[in-house]
Amino acid sequence: MSATTAVRRVTFGPSPGRTTLTLGLGAVLVVVAATAAVLAGTSGIGIGDAVAIVVHRLTGIGPVTWPSSAETIVWELRLPRVLAGMVVGAGLACAGAVFQALLRNPLADPYIIGPAAGASLGAVAALLLPVTLAGWLGLGLVQLLAFVGGLAAVAVVFTVARGRGGTPVVTLLLAGYAISSLLSAAVAVMIFNAGERLGAVISWLLGSLAGASWARVGFAAPLIIISFTLLLLRWRRLNALLLGEAQAAHIGLDVEREKRILVALAALATSAGVAISGTIGFVGLVVPHLVRLAAGPDHRLLLPASMLYGAALLVLADLGARMAGGIPVGVVTALIGAPFFLWLLRRSIAGGWVSR
Amino acid sequence: MTGTAIRLDRVEAGYRGAGGERRVLNGLDLTVDRGEMVALLGANGSGKTTLLNVMAGTIRPSAGAIELFGRPLASWSRGEIARSVAVLPQSLELPAGFRVAEVVAMGRTAHGARWFGWTPGDLRAVEDALRDADAADLADRPVTELSGGERQRVLVALALAQEPSLLLLDEPTTHLDIAHAAWLLASVARLRQLRGLTAVMVLHDLVLASAWSPRIAVLHAGHIVADGPPEEALRADIVRDAYGVAVETVVTDAGRRLVVPHVPASASEHASGPGSSSSVG
Amino acid sequence: MDRPRLTFLSLLLTLVLAAACTAAPEATPPGSTDAESPTPSPAASTSAAPFPVELTDDAGRELTIAAEPMRIVSLAPSNTEIVCALDACDRLVGVTDFDDYPAEVADVPDVVIAASVDVELVVGAEPDLVLAAGNELTPTAVIEQLDGLGLPVLVLYPETLDEVYADIQLIGAALGRRPAAAELVTSMEARVADVVTAVEGAERPLTLYEVFHAEGTTYTAGEGSFLASLLELAGAIPLVGDAQGVIDAESLVAADPELILLGTASYDPSLAEPEAALETVRARAGWADLAAVRDAAVVPYLDDITTTRPGPRIVDGLEALARAIHPDRFE
Repeated sequence: MSATTAVRRVTFGPSPGRTTLTLGLGAVLVVVAATAAVLAGTSGIGIGDAVAIVVHRLTGIGPVTWPSSAETIVWELRLPRVLAGMVVGAGLACAGAVFQALLRNPLADPYIIGPAAGASLGAVAALLLPVTLAGWLGLGLVQLLAFVGGLAAVAVVFTVARGRGGTPVVTLLLAGYAISSLLSAAVAVMIFNAGERLGAVISWLLGSLAGASWARVGFAAPLIIISFTLLLLRWRRLNALLLGEAQAAHIGLDVEREKRILVALAALATSAGVAISGTIGFVGLVVPHLVRLAAGPDHRLLLPASMLYGAALLVLADLGARMAGGIPVGVVTALIGAPFFLWLLRRSIAGGWVSR
Repeated sequence: MTGTAIRLDRVEAGYRGAGGERRVLNGLDLTVDRGEMVALLGANGSGKTTLLNVMAGTIRPSAGAIELFGRPLASWSRGEIARSVAVLPQSLELPAGFRVAEVVAMGRTAHGARWFGWTPGDLRAVEDALRDADAADLADRPVTELSGGERQRVLVALALAQEPSLLLLDEPTTHLDIAHAAWLLASVARLRQLRGLTAVMVLHDLVLASAWSPRIAVLHAGHIVADGPPEEALRADIVRDAYGVAVETVVTDAGRRLVVPHVPASASEHASGPGSSSSVG
Repeated sequence: MDRPRLTFLSLLLTLVLAAACTAAPEATPPGSTDAESPTPSPAASTSAAPFPVELTDDAGRELTIAAEPMRIVSLAPSNTEIVCALDACDRLVGVTDFDDYPAEVADVPDVVIAASVDVELVVGAEPDLVLAAGNELTPTAVIEQLDGLGLPVLVLYPETLDEVYADIQLIGAALGRRPAAAELVTSMEARVADVVTAVEGAERPLTLYEVFHAEGTTYTAGEGSFLASLLELAGAIPLVGDAQGVIDAESLVAADPELILLGTASYDPSLAEPEAALETVRARAGWADLAAVRDAAVVPYLDDITTTRPGPRIVDGLEALARAIHPDRFE
């Protein structure tokens, strides 16, 4: 076969068929999950009414035949919660994919270099302080301190790991572990002294979408969308990093600068997500792996697909959490994610990560 | 094509190790003209890889000047360098899940102009690279299904996809058997003709070097101690100083001069030192 | 320092602080009482026109109730009992799954399940008044969410008998049932006075009220807590733990209580029999030498619910305590 035809057939990247299938299936899953989550809940609101409420709110069409409480439930409670699930799930999965490429480590998740520990410290401090912030940007002190804490922790880790010749991946991982441990110890001390606020603290740490409001969605969504867009545009460089930093530099990547930018963008998405929903685990770790299994490691497809499947997964997990009596969604993702992760390991994902 | 490809002038480079600063390159001078082929030799730890990385711009020298194609290397951006200089590594872990053509296309990273795809120019460069590297039939193959020799061809294609003017090769024959090693050396010579490449190849094997390269530079104690055709650069005393091994020059029937290490002919002549072999051929 | 003086001092301090730090962020300590006076004084209302009424709840939040609430959601059993004691039980449209008194509330739908507030169900019940509990018993985040959805929320957290009376009157004002509330409070005060009279002059034993026990750690009345004050009224000297009510074995042995009331017996059938309870307690490390154990003064106490639920039946709890501590005074 001549090089020309072979190369043209390969077309450098996921085939249009595979792309369409992966993204299409993901989009369908998101729509189905979101619809199910808006229609389902502990108060029995009929499907027709729920749909009519959304339509009415969006377009003003239709006679209002439902009680205002139903409208409040669907529009102010369920819809923001579903959107928050989509936004946070997408952001965590996307950040997880980026960290896995950056650190060339299949066990990397968005929290690996500290944003969870930092955000936890900020949030728990806010929960225990006898101060409330009168809704700045519609957010509470907890969300703001969690966001700032997450970003600050990553900045500290990166600074600590920076050496003369750059920031080696191993050092980043170790510094991330060390700083996270330090911050977690501080959080542990605060938990011990939490007193009556213990329930609120634990609930936040386990991750929950229960308090989702339009304001919180409005805060996190733009940040995550911007971060995702900028990351997607760097798909070439993300792919190049898979060759290893040395060779990536040889084919033209300013590796240190690239690491800084990728870490900043991924940390932004992660911190925005954690700020509004607490530290939800496993989504950022498992979704990119599953997508990579099905759709390959090319970030042109991996990033958007991870967003879609991450969104769908979290919305479905939250639906399960709601129906199971209002348990924190982080519990559900752990229950789903841990067995999945074991299954991934058994498939020798770690072994098949690179070819020798 | 004439002109200087790369010139190094009293270059010093090293790193900060556990015992303080270690100077690897010390007052090194080297000039390579366009279209030349140079083999870089030196004992293990003599700094060959450091030199290669300094030439590729990935290690910054602590002193001295480097000019690449007439401009100071420090003024080149990483992307600019990648469009002119390609490095063929000794070995490379290829990421699973990609096919050969996709990996070769990564060599176009510094050229990539389109947001989500590759330009027709990129496509052509990849095709040419695969063809010139004898890897056209591998385009469709998943990178996890390559033999050692096939992988080497893919790495060559990856380097060629950058459409470099200067090709730096880091001990490319180390993991290859003799047939593949021969193929590689012949390919580099062929590509030099075909694409007007300048090639600097770090080799560990004196025999191959003297067989292949018209010019040999020997690296020892941080600088070039010999630079010229094999019979000059690989004089016995130079080699003894640089490698600590005795050599003899052999002239083949075709009149080519090869430098081979002196291997004791019998067990009683057992010599101590690096590179000696106790088995008699 | 007793409660009324403490309340006055904290009021004074708050006024001073408020005057000094006008630019400080809003301070809302959960469950604080510094913004509450013993008798809330609703403004802009007369007895002839009970609505609209402006109220300040136990969390210092100000609320205006425009009209008589007809659909009430209660997020704590004590609130439910107060509403029913004020004869407004039929107006309840949402309660918790812990509510067990009076019997009518069994028919009211639960909006709080396993201590978790289902906001959807609360909204779906279309309440015009929500009675929440302070001190994170109803999480602050939920209160904020309900606020944000425009529901009127009153937060209640009484820590003394006087505050229970105040909360009854607060809910009475909120429901337009002020006279009934005042009557209830008067009758409660009278019963309390009877108890105090009955135990007057009796020797006050050092009493440990066991709220919970696990692995060498005992939970009892916290220092300055509601339970401690009830024990005092019932004619005992309460053995108190730290602010959370925790007392470790060593401090317990050093204090050497004369009487042990097992509140845990209300939930643990194995402690319901005096002999069995005594044996269980004696088997605990270090407890065998306590005066109460040697004298077999270990009493399974089965009225924990009324003793710890700060509602109208708190007086029942006080009476039960007094009877348990001084049985000879109540024939």
